[in-house]
Amino acid sequence: MPDHAHTPHAPFQRKEDRRLVTGHGLYTTDRTFAGELHAVFLRSDRAHADIVSLKTDAAKAMPGVHGVFTAADSTAAGMVKVMCMLALKGTDGEPPRVPARSAFADGRVRFVGETVAMVVADSVAAGLDALEAIEVEYRDLPHVVDAGRALDAGAPVIHDTAPGNLCWVGEAGDRAAVDSAMAAAATVVELSVESTRVIPSPMEPRCCAATYDAANDHYHLYSVTQGVNAMRMQVSFAAGIPESKLTIHAQDVGGSFGNRSPHYPEHCAVMLAAKTLGRPVRWAGTRSECLASDYHGRSNQIAGKLAIDKDGHFTAIQLDWVADMGAFITPAGIASHTRNPVVLLSGVYRIPAMHGRWRAVFTNTSPIAPYRGAGRPDVNYMIERLVDEAAARLGMDPADLRRRNAIGLDQFPYKTPTGTTYEATDVPGSLEKAVLLADWKGFPARRAEAKAKGKLRGIGMATFIENTGAGVFPKDQVDIEVDAKGVVHAFTVAHAQGQGHETTFTQVIADAMGIDTANVLLHEGSPDHVLIGNHTGGSRSLVGAGSVCKLAGLKLVEVAKSAAAAMFDTEPSQVDYVAGTLTDRVSGKSTTLAELARRPEGLKTQAEATIGSTFPTGCHIAEVEIDPLTGTTEILSYVAVDDCGHAVDHTIVEGQVHGGVLQGVGQVFCEKAIYDEETGQLMTGSFMDYTMPRAGMLKHIVIDENCIPSKINSLGAKGVGESGCTGSISAMSNAMADALRPLGVPPMDMPFTSSRVWHAIAAAGGLK
Amino acid sequence: MYEFEYVRPKSVAEAAGFLAANGEARLMSGGMTLLPTMKQRLAQASHLVHVGPLGELKSITREGDMLVIGSAATHDQVQGSEVVGAAIPALARLARGIGDPQVRYMGTIGGSIANNDPAADYPAGVLGLGATVVTHLRQIAADDYFQGLFTTALGEGEIVTAVRFPVPRRAGYVKFAHPATGYAMSGVFVADTGSGVRVAVTGAGNGVFRWAEAEAALAKSMSPKALDGLALDASHFSEDIHATREYRAQLCRVMAARAVNELLG
Amino acid sequence: MSRIELTLNGKAVSADVEDRTLLVNFLRDAQQLTGTHVGCDTTQCGACTVLVDGRALKSCTLLAVQVNGAKITTIEGMANGEALHPVQQAFSECHGLQCGYCTPGMVMAVTDLLRRNPKPTEEQILHGLEGNICRCTGYVNIVKSVKRASELMAAG
Repeated sequence: MPDHAHTPHAPFQRKEDRRLVTGHGLYTTDRTFAGELHAVFLRSDRAHADIVSLKTDAAKAMPGVHGVFTAADSTAAGMVKVMCMLALKGTDGEPPRVPARSAFADGRVRFVGETVAMVVADSVAAGLDALEAIEVEYRDLPHVVDAGRALDAGAPVIHDTAPGNLCWVGEAGDRAAVDSAMAAAATVVELSVESTRVIPSPMEPRCCAATYDAANDHYHLYSVTQGVNAMRMQVSFAAGIPESKLTIHAQDVGGSFGNRSPHYPEHCAVMLAAKTLGRPVRWAGTRSECLASDYHGRSNQIAGKLAIDKDGHFTAIQLDWVADMGAFITPAGIASHTRNPVVLLSGVYRIPAMHGRWRAVFTNTSPIAPYRGAGRPDVNYMIERLVDEAAARLGMDPADLRRRNAIGLDQFPYKTPTGTTYEATDVPGSLEKAVLLADWKGFPARRAEAKAKGKLRGIGMATFIENTGAGVFPKDQVDIEVDAKGVVHAFTVAHAQGQGHETTFTQVIADAMGIDTANVLLHEGSPDHVLIGNHTGGSRSLVGAGSVCKLAGLKLVEVAKSAAAAMFDTEPSQVDYVAGTLTDRVSGKSTTLAELARRPEGLKTQAEATIGSTFPTGCHIAEVEIDPLTGTTEILSYVAVDDCGHAVDHTIVEGQVHGGVLQGVGQVFCEKAIYDEETGQLMTGSFMDYTMPRAGMLKHIVIDENCIPSKINSLGAKGVGESGCTGSISAMSNAMADALRPLGVPPMDMPFTSSRVWHAIAAAGGLK
Repeated sequence: MYEFEYVRPKSVAEAAGFLAANGEARLMSGGMTLLPTMKQRLAQASHLVHVGPLGELKSITREGDMLVIGSAATHDQVQGSEVVGAAIPALARLARGIGDPQVRYMGTIGGSIANNDPAADYPAGVLGLGATVVTHLRQIAADDYFQGLFTTALGEGEIVTAVRFPVPRRAGYVKFAHPATGYAMSGVFVADTGSGVRVAVTGAGNGVFRWAEAEAALAKSMSPKALDGLALDASHFSEDIHATREYRAQLCRVMAARAVNELLG
Repeated sequence: MSRIELTLNGKAVSADVEDRTLLVNFLRDAQQLTGTHVGCDTTQCGACTVLVDGRALKSCTLLAVQVNGAKITTIEGMANGEALHPVQQAFSECHGLQCGYCTPGMVMAVTDLLRRNPKPTEEQILHGLEGNICRCTGYVNIVKSVKRASELMAAG
């Protein structure tokens, strides 16, 4: 393994680390406001019910209470909308059905955890006391928590505006071509999988605070976020106010994974209270209320078919996909589980005929939003499970079947039958690197050794391709300016939640300008720099904002040269720029960035670019060992070979892969949000039942790169934030299937908890 | 949390007197279960009478063939105690596996057995070793003490002061930890006492219980094989999203065999 | 209300607190030491870990009145001026943090772990981290950070 030396500046230290390891970060819940009040929420304790009456008078009269808010207030204030970023008409000619959602349940609750009322009080304790004085009378309605069942005839209808609970239906590809390929195929493999519902659970519980400037009719919202622009757009839409009336503030964000990009009802609620009461209002969610009311991730039920000819070539793929939306729409919920799978329907393979149908469905559960990968891990899971089941059916080495079908380096740019054009990448090369690192060939001997000890070993491979986020806004802008001391300041919309932008983006600028990174500072989401640009998400920040930082650095040098030329009374072409110093080649006079910045007009510029999707790829291999007596699994090794394009900092890239892989491992082995079918209650409502991955689950991971720089951005970056998740869910699941297949265990779904694995082994007749 | 008054008694006697005089007061030892419950507003008290810091409850001593552990001895104290390590190493290992390092500093043996969580570790050790629970009023044999789900023989205001463990010839404890909480999804304590074999199971059912068939089988032959095919009534076992009844039964068998192996060294 | 007196990051502090005040709220709200975080409500995540008389405890499950008379060290009290504590240094060097939210609790827990066991094995490190949850790093670099901190402390 190459030990990537990250930079010449040892020891490694991210710019953000100093404040974060000393406790001087500024997370949203760390902010206090003069005269602040505290909000607490009454949430629905049932899955589906009409609100017959809601009495708040007693609560309003409690000591320390300043206000109690319900749908009567939020609906009257016009806070009734949810943004939906997919406007595309479906195959039934209809765009997505987007039910209204007031900041508080209006007349009916539709999932456990939904906001019903809010008390605003002097303290959290006083607020909680008052919550108990609110009287709600419900009339229970039948509920449905499973998306497949929500489509059944006679299922309870959750929104009158969405008959049959259907939110949207769409198709992609060529059904006739697929039908004929299936008919002509030597082998057709069919498999149904569920990419389980998980709860993203960043370590910083969801929180927000609002102030209202009455003189200017302007709101300030302090919130966890992935980028202030998207948040401002969404919240102003939901609140029914112009974007110009809202400023979003955020500094440090304690993790996100997609979950902090959407707007939430609590945003409108605290804004409403701040305006009504004329005081700052804070809300800090508890973990339990976050587990119930944070938007959840994944929850896709997919049936797949893969057609293969007699030579082992894939000839067609077909998916029928049911995307659980939960009880309401979230801004990117539909798009991430419909558009991304369409873009990636081919996986890394040459498949001439493709078709899929996507149905987005309402259920009495917390709404679904993007979660690390946002549909990409889900479609990859379906495809890669099909490929491994096909290999088993054909008696082929899964690596060989992938070699036979993977798109080769000489075939790019590759246009898939659903219209995506993939950028050049070398999946076969990554596969060969991975099989060497994992000692794929030596596996049969290791399996035999394990068997002799009474253990079940399995090895699983996944290849994958991802489309990084194309962005919601048309371009990414970066402001860059130099202060009087010569320090370069860059301003972006992209907002880190752990990705280390302050380190990598400033490195990019320092490299572009030939200066020390110590003299470059990054500011994300500054209210004083209103820019067009995208939030951080979809593995796109280095690709987008990061590459524009390079352009900004280069452009700033040109601006500085012009300024110096004017000072020297010469042409810019006569000015040499070296490491922050500008010299007139003729006169020998020189100046510095700092000196130019001290001129009245300062030294600054703005750069921008429009950047679409790149396509990171990779090959991951997992090796597992199951103790059949207890059903427990140990992950023995994990190999990740990624093409993330140009890497600015290998240490940070590896960190992203580590974290992504373990989140995938969490979904595969322990995490699942479970709603009880009968009661509609969330059974995983605290960390006592929602099993977060712990230290030691992933002990051995080997990371390597096989990178081909992207051609669509100035850095050549492709992105790496989600690859760990996308690779590990498929690789781990294939390894588990491989371990269990010799016993005759039929394909099983996540999560591979010890209880479920033991039952599967027992049902297959136990060890043979 | 609802409001309450914090009370720090100077002795067990003072604590007992306070509890007797204040019906809504509650005893707190380490607080590792009580405080989280109160934070969720699932429990309420007029006063929290904190006996955890009382020196008289913290001692760990060997008295002949008895190991006596004060009720406020923390899990960390027990796991690191040379006295415990020399007398009943399985008990030290049990303590080492409770919760996490931070929780072990605060959680106590008295708090654990007074709460009698059906998935707690200590009840298995106390019942498996046939210990005696000492309160400020009386002594209660383990077989009489544990009475099912969060229920014990303790009366209102009765304070556990110590647990007296007869030192066994050998013992072993192995648990299968709940993946989220670390509690026992099934934990089995096997003790070869001077007078026979005792097997106590925690985590599987509504409370710790003795597995009579295993005791009989191991009395004949102390080996994991002796457990093969033994009857185990799982009808009262709990079933939840983490483990089915059958799976808990399987874990009992496997943990019992592993505990025997540990006992055998 | 109770009067408490304690030593907080080396300074004498006395304050009146409601008996039901949790130590973490006392630190964050009354003392403005917001480096100590809250990540759960079931005493599991360890983001709130502080040192009480040198021992790592979860300040979310401890009443402020309980620590009357104790020496408390929070993450803000770890560095010596510009010089980071070796555990802080190691987390930074090994990229043992991403979003940083769990980091203060991790640093405190690891400081105690290394106080008790200056050269822990991998198994001992994992056992020592059972009370702390991280969502970003996959723990790979956290384990590496503990080993590095052990080296840094041995080197003095």
